[in-house]
Amino acid sequence: MTESKTPRRRFSLDAYAVTLALVLALLVRLNILPTVKW
Amino acid sequence: MATAANSSQPLSLAEPTGLGRRLVALLPGVLLLAAVGYAGKFIEQTIAVYTKSHHITFPNIEYVLWAIVIGLLISNTVGVPRTFQPGVATYEFWLKAGIVLLGSRFLLGDILHLGGISLLLVAVALTLSLAFMHLLGRIFKLKPKLTSLLAVGSSICGVSAIIAAKPAIDADDEDASYAIAAILALGALSLFTFPLIGHSLHLSDKAYGLWAGLAVDNTAEATAAGALYSDAAGKVAVLAKTTRNALIGFVVLAYAIYWSSRGQAQAVGHKAEFLWKKFPKFVLGFLFISLLATLGYFTRPQLTSLANLSRWAFLLTFAGVGLRTSFRELGKQGWRPLAVGAIGEVFIALVTLGLVFGADRLLHL
Repeated sequence: MTESKTPRRRFSLDAYAVTLALVLALLVRLNILPTVKW
Repeated sequence: MATAANSSQPLSLAEPTGLGRRLVALLPGVLLLAAVGYAGKFIEQTIAVYTKSHHITFPNIEYVLWAIVIGLLISNTVGVPRTFQPGVATYEFWLKAGIVLLGSRFLLGDILHLGGISLLLVAVALTLSLAFMHLLGRIFKLKPKLTSLLAVGSSICGVSAIIAAKPAIDADDEDASYAIAAILALGALSLFTFPLIGHSLHLSDKAYGLWAGLAVDNTAEATAAGALYSDAAGKVAVLAKTTRNALIGFVVLAYAIYWSSRGQAQAVGHKAEFLWKKFPKFVLGFLFISLLATLGYFTRPQLTSLANLSRWAFLLTFAGVGLRTSFRELGKQGWRPLAVGAIGEVFIALVTLGLVFGADRLLHL
């Protein structure tokens, strides 16, 4: 019996980028990340 | 243009097996992006310090341009070694993260005001440019689907739009790579021409930013073209370009329906689902961070930190813009798609410039 293969759900580039940005924003908000200079 | 096409594919970080290995594979290229970007920043600062201490009058050349030029020099001389390519392709990831973080510099009211004006101008420019590109395609006898891809790429958002439209209209790989090459070549040119034209016309930061966001195709190039003019122009360019990107689903849907009605593409099933699938989700992240900033969730120093984080992310993006542009590859693609793209781009640049002038007068940007 062959098992039907469902494609594994891949997260998009956008989802990763938004997640990273939100995590960074949270770290800044909670003062966990030191002041970021330019 | 394998690197450009790969960069728009989803990062396959979700697979638990080999996650560490995948991240390690990205590391050399990300470090190269950081090195090139930081070199650009270092050169700008060094020149500024030197000219100031020696009382020399010298125009300030932004780190954006240095990073792009260093990247171009590497990719067109020694080339980017295979080990570095996966990491270099992450430049679009840094771009999107940077745009989301940039949301903290906008109040929702600004977004509604400038975004609303952008939306209006995008709708007019979009209609004119799609019609013009199809006319050009017919004159230059391009394949109709290649013309569709060029029209989508030049009127909406460059490479991402072409990647989104390709499966929806069942276009060939060859057509997609032609269209991508043409859009990238013209995007690289716009980096050098747009700031010069903007300065010669004495455009305000807002007007120039709006123009760059409406006329330059690829999001990375539009961000860079805006930042090359000024920080404020870069901010407006990102907002205008993000508004344009948000329309990608509607245009691709229209093309998919058109080609399927001619029996040359699969029929579109659930239209709302199709629109959601094609909608660039980072726009939601951008709006969310802007909402938090508007509600006073961040203190002023925290807002400065977020803006600086966004700049660091853009630094990696600008390095990637140079590193992934190979003039040798672009030359291989033939002159006709490039000619159609170039004439179309000049038309779009002129139309949007006229629209921005009009909006500046009537709507007071």
